[in-house]
Amino acid sequence: MNRELHIVGFQLGHETYGVPITSLHEIVRVPEITAVPDAPDYIEGVINLRGKIVSVIDLRKRFGQKKVARARRHRILVVEHKGRLSGLIVDSASEVLKIPEGDVEPAPQVFREGRLNCVTGLGKYKGRLIVLLDMAKLLEYSGPNQALADVEERQPATNARGAAAK
Amino acid sequence: MTQFSDERGAELRELFFETAQELLQSLNEEALKLEKHPGDAEIVRSIRRTVHTLKGDAAACGYRELSESAHELEDALAVETASSHTGLAEVAFTAADIFGSMLNAYRRRAKLPSAEPLRKMIQQLGKASSSEKGGKKKAAKTSAAKAEWTEYEKLEIQNALKQGKRVYHIKAEIDPRCAMPIAARQLLLNAVGAVGQVVAVRPETDSPANTDRLELLLASPLSMEKVTAKCRIPTVIARAGVEPIKGKVSKKSAASENKPKEPNGISSEPIPKNTFTSAAEEYESRENLHLGAVAENILRVDAERIDNVLNLVGELIIGKSMLQQAFQELTKHSPKESMRGRVADAMAFQSRVLNDLQRSVMKIRMVPVEQLFRRFPRMVRDVAKQGGKEVDLIISGQDTDLDKSLLDAIAEPLTHLVRNAVGHGIENAAERARLGKPTRGTIRLDAYHQGNQVIVEIKDDGSGIDSQKVKSKALEKKIVSVDEAERLSEANIIALVFRPGFSTADEITELAGRGVGLDVVQSVLHRLKGTVEIETHPGQGTTFRLKLPLTLAIIKALLFRVEGRLYAIPLNAVAEIARAKESDLHQVDNYEVLQLRNQVLPLVRLGRPSAQPAQAAGKIFVLVITVSESKLGLIVEALEGEEELVIKALDDQTVSTDLVSGASILGDGRVVLILNLPAIVERYANSRPGQIGAVASGILLSHADRSQTHRPVVEAQP
Repeated sequence: MNRELHIVGFQLGHETYGVPITSLHEIVRVPEITAVPDAPDYIEGVINLRGKIVSVIDLRKRFGQKKVARARRHRILVVEHKGRLSGLIVDSASEVLKIPEGDVEPAPQVFREGRLNCVTGLGKYKGRLIVLLDMAKLLEYSGPNQALADVEERQPATNARGAAAK
Repeated sequence: MTQFSDERGAELRELFFETAQELLQSLNEEALKLEKHPGDAEIVRSIRRTVHTLKGDAAACGYRELSESAHELEDALAVETASSHTGLAEVAFTAADIFGSMLNAYRRRAKLPSAEPLRKMIQQLGKASSSEKGGKKKAAKTSAAKAEWTEYEKLEIQNALKQGKRVYHIKAEIDPRCAMPIAARQLLLNAVGAVGQVVAVRPETDSPANTDRLELLLASPLSMEKVTAKCRIPTVIARAGVEPIKGKVSKKSAASENKPKEPNGISSEPIPKNTFTSAAEEYESRENLHLGAVAENILRVDAERIDNVLNLVGELIIGKSMLQQAFQELTKHSPKESMRGRVADAMAFQSRVLNDLQRSVMKIRMVPVEQLFRRFPRMVRDVAKQGGKEVDLIISGQDTDLDKSLLDAIAEPLTHLVRNAVGHGIENAAERARLGKPTRGTIRLDAYHQGNQVIVEIKDDGSGIDSQKVKSKALEKKIVSVDEAERLSEANIIALVFRPGFSTADEITELAGRGVGLDVVQSVLHRLKGTVEIETHPGQGTTFRLKLPLTLAIIKALLFRVEGRLYAIPLNAVAEIARAKESDLHQVDNYEVLQLRNQVLPLVRLGRPSAQPAQAAGKIFVLVITVSESKLGLIVEALEGEEELVIKALDDQTVSTDLVSGASILGDGRVVLILNLPAIVERYANSRPGQIGAVASGILLSHADRSQTHRPVVEAQP
């Protein structure tokens, strides 16, 4: 009973991440993105996916990495979670990986906090480490650390302009 | 196969809940009537009829407790028919409440509420009437028990025949594979009930007899073939035979002889002797109830299916604007193209048909507001009674149509407002007499169309809202500061009651006005892209006006740019579009204003403030919008024109913001965000720039923009 996990791998910086292939809807080039006011910082905006409005998350920002200029090879992974479509901006996406279940290790404790809380495990594939992501946590969870970081960032702006006061 | 019939069962129960709600509603209405005319035998009869129907339906769906309680009440009412009893209306109200909570419990599969209070009341009723009558009733019951079709039913058959209707004797066999024979039976009854009037059913609805055979008498204007077709329900009814009954009763009773004998006889409806005389008129009133359903041929359709059609219409409208855009480009590229005229004609035709299509689909979703209004008489009565007040409710405009989803959404706020009007608006009788008003207070509920909106009005002739009290309350609650309060206009002070936290339950009594949860009312209305207005005259009363859009699906919108991004607002909110130079704008008290003709218009800067003096001469557009009677100007950079937008919901979990009410896709595939104006106005009103020189602005900036802009803004402080 050595089952294999089918994973779609994508690059983000130097790392390779993976999401279960069952949650992938499609991969598209980055179209024009419409920014949404008041949205959390990692939400890049919304796109038109053949008549559907889909919100797009910048995974770099979601993981607290540096923003890079948009490049041609960038892609949007459209994933489906609980019937809802969401887009993830990644540096590039190409391969489908088959990782035996035995080669997956649980995520280290350090990953369970902070912006990387959506990591379910680390997969070993041909000497590489693949960071496996949990869709549910990635799309639904914005934990205390996340919220706190947002507040801290927003605080000075709020004082200065007061526009965000509610 | 079983799954299929399970589905049928669920559908059936859903149907039962719906009709049961309607029955309870009419029970309430009849009880109200009875309260006004105590001892009216006709009303008592009609209550009994309602309870009887409820009993039957509940038994068919297997809800025994409800059916039993209804049965008890029905019996008590039969005893009561001759002698009027003042407490009867009260019993009916209690019954409606208890039945209602039982229904809820069934629906949620929760624990059933106790029917004990009702039982007690019924027993008291029973005591009040003489035991002799009870005996009579029993006698009547047993004597009628042996008849095949009761006298009453025979009379109805004759009546129907006299009126030129056909009467059919339907024999149906329920499919042995059907998992829910009781439900199947109800399904058949509903099916034939939709085309005519079911005069009699054998075995009786509540009899424990074997139920795989079913016979009924149906009076219907339809032909035999059509009735037969109605009876054929696959997987539920195995065989159905329909034969018409003609002419005299004698012949008909002969026809009924060849039907199988019931194992334990037939328990007929306990009909007291005195109702026989009025059987004909009872029949007439029943017929009136049913005739509407027969004539109009109503379909019950799942709302989701209509929504799907509406979505497709939406896609078509996007397609239409794609075509138009392509056509415009074509015109630009080759202005001499000879086919242009024909294409333009075809497009004009298509868009006309599309408009009609959109309107027709929208009309399917429309329901009269009566569905909502009819629940209020009972509520007003109860609340008035609690508060020891006398209140009349006058309802008008109940035929006004409104989108079903809108109607459902405003149910709660409207209930709230009506309750408030009775509870806090209308004074008690003594107070009213002292003020020289009629002792009975009046609440008017009205609905009407105005332009592209539907307006629902709740008007009371009570004490009105005291602006001084509102002001002092607002100060006490620290909703406004002292100097702010000084500057507020009368209307603005009244509008404070909509602020969250303005009033809580324990303060209602101190305060002459209202304010309990009015912020909830307002937020619901905003969510629906509607508004709520108050008009109040101290001592004369208060009017709440809910303004709602006709539909939630498609709007005419004005498109404009802020910070290079495209946004849209509903066109009907735009009063005018003004052009101005940056240098025309003035700053008053941290707010930017524009003098427009003789008015000073407060401005909302959606984008970044223009810091560079070089831009001061630049031209800008100001969209003058009216939201809840306040006028505001939105500063935008460029206008993009007008377009019909199909509203698509934004993914509310990840990009939730109250500033944007939805998004739409343009003909060229671009996404445009539709702004939620009330939220923007609110955001603007609540923003209090602390520092001098820092104007309120940048509402539409995204998070990323903020972090870029915030430094220059901070530096700009003195």
